[in-house]
Amino acid sequence: MSMTELSETAVLAVPVERVWQVVSATNRYAEWVDGVFEVTDHHGEAEVGRTYAERNRTIGPLSTRSTWTVREIEPLTTRIDTGEGFAPLHEMTNVFRFRPVAVDGVEGAGTEMTYAVRYRVGLGPLGAVIDKVTQPGLRKAFQQSMRNLEDLIVAEGQ
Amino acid sequence: MPRAARVDVAIVGAGLAGLTAARALVAAGRSVVVLEARDRVGGRTLNHDLGDGQVVEAGGQFVGPTQNHILGLAAELDVKTFPAYTEGEAVYVRGGRAKRYAGDVPPDPTALADVAVTMARIDRLARRIPLGAPWQARNAARLDAVTFDSWIRDTTVSAAGVDLVNIFFGSAYGGTAADASALFSLHYVAGMGDEDHPGSIARGIGVEGGAQQDRFVGGSQGVSLAMAEQLGDRVVLDAPVRAIDQNGRTVKLRTDAGVWQAGHAIVAVPPPLAGKISWSPLLPAPQAALFDRMPMGNLMKCEAVYDEPFWREDGLSGQATFRSPDSAICSMFDNTPPSGGPGVLMGFLGGRAWRALAHRPPRERRAAVLRTFARAVGREALRPRDYFEQDWSSEEWTRGGPTSVLAPGVLTALGAWRDRPFGLVHWAGAEHADYWNGYMDGAVRSGRDAAAAVIDVLEGTER
Repeated sequence: MSMTELSETAVLAVPVERVWQVVSATNRYAEWVDGVFEVTDHHGEAEVGRTYAERNRTIGPLSTRSTWTVREIEPLTTRIDTGEGFAPLHEMTNVFRFRPVAVDGVEGAGTEMTYAVRYRVGLGPLGAVIDKVTQPGLRKAFQQSMRNLEDLIVAEGQ
Repeated sequence: MPRAARVDVAIVGAGLAGLTAARALVAAGRSVVVLEARDRVGGRTLNHDLGDGQVVEAGGQFVGPTQNHILGLAAELDVKTFPAYTEGEAVYVRGGRAKRYAGDVPPDPTALADVAVTMARIDRLARRIPLGAPWQARNAARLDAVTFDSWIRDTTVSAAGVDLVNIFFGSAYGGTAADASALFSLHYVAGMGDEDHPGSIARGIGVEGGAQQDRFVGGSQGVSLAMAEQLGDRVVLDAPVRAIDQNGRTVKLRTDAGVWQAGHAIVAVPPPLAGKISWSPLLPAPQAALFDRMPMGNLMKCEAVYDEPFWREDGLSGQATFRSPDSAICSMFDNTPPSGGPGVLMGFLGGRAWRALAHRPPRERRAAVLRTFARAVGREALRPRDYFEQDWSSEEWTRGGPTSVLAPGVLTALGAWRDRPFGLVHWAGAEHADYWNGYMDGAVRSGRDAAAAVIDVLEGTER
């Protein structure tokens, strides 16, 4: 089965430096990533090659345990991780991209964030059905996560 | 040293209990000194300056019906009360969903039956607890062998009853029902009344008609400040008592500010701190063991200040309860001063949430609190003009709050030692009260009781 890629973009009314700071904290994903119940293991500020683990929402009250490996860091711009534990979704790759933008005419006061995942669906035809059902929820979760991230940074007082 | 004059009674601690005791003793013609470790009076009452002459409390603040001792004292001192803000709808947040509601009953139909059964059971059994000797209650041993959490879960279908109690205990205990013995908790509820009105959990939880009904104009610390003003230089600040020696005739108190000798002493500090004083002779072993087993809860008050109480325009009272084990805040109140501005939201961060967040960087904790507020009153809550916290566990001279919580086994084994005088030393403080234990009213009652006991002894000696 071919790879699926989902991508959502939003403008956060907070500077990219603060966004980068929070996104880089591997202990804090449960605070803003929709669907992460808890971070069960982490290594502090993200480092390439190191891992962190989560308990994630799947369907309804069900949860799964996932492990992520940090693959690529380009400060203030890009963060790429790969994850395991989301069967029937395989070869999961999570990509965050950031770009400073103007908000209310103030240059650099905001951040354009792109939240994307790539994965391959297993289980043959059944997997395709599951994927089709899952996609709208994932897109909604990405948007909610970015909203949560903005709220968190605003609440911290920047 | 110049102030080493002998006094009739030395009092340790210038909180509500100690100052009340001092005032009563002075009124009875006795000489007193009040030795306070901090550079201020008031103990667990503490005003926070909002500017423009306005304050809001960072410590104990609410009073209500049957708390006649603190209310009477405040009236004597001309400290007035005003009603806590209750106009508009409250908000009930369960998981991520917020529901507005009017009245006292949260909109959670699946929980109502269990909550009603739990509250009725608590009240029914609390009435059978002898207030002055809970260890003599029927089934005392059985009730003291389990946590309040276990006791509630044994006879309820869902977790709703425990959840409700935990929302309350998050602020009242700085903990949960799992931290406390069932007997201790029933005794605690039994004391939420007065000699004419049996205690009830509804009175403890409630705002109108309950323990959160009113606040003090000028802040609750004003009561202590007014007493300290009357007592004048009898109150000595920055004088932590390090050691207390007694020989049957006099008590010697060694402090960082010198040594005082007294005919009697009243120790009016939290029991765990009393146990840390160097005693000669040593405290009776069971009393020391009890004080060691009276740990204070873990509670932080978190308050956000806004230009206006914006939630009021939206028809909200600013009150919210959060039924979620991972919520930073268990309950929230509109803490705006009586003038109507600035707007202040106050939340209790206690017990499990305290353990999860107290060690986190302040900025992260602030975000957790404000996002919880925002669930109830909207995203405007994310941008306060000021934010402050008071973590009572990090206060050297309190070490927790709001009160001591006894685990299973302690009350039946050691409870009788709580108020027992040790030679010339008597005890006071909010934890040494049967009515409104842990509350301002309990502190005032205990101060009066301790003073009366010392006066009795003094008058008996003089006869």
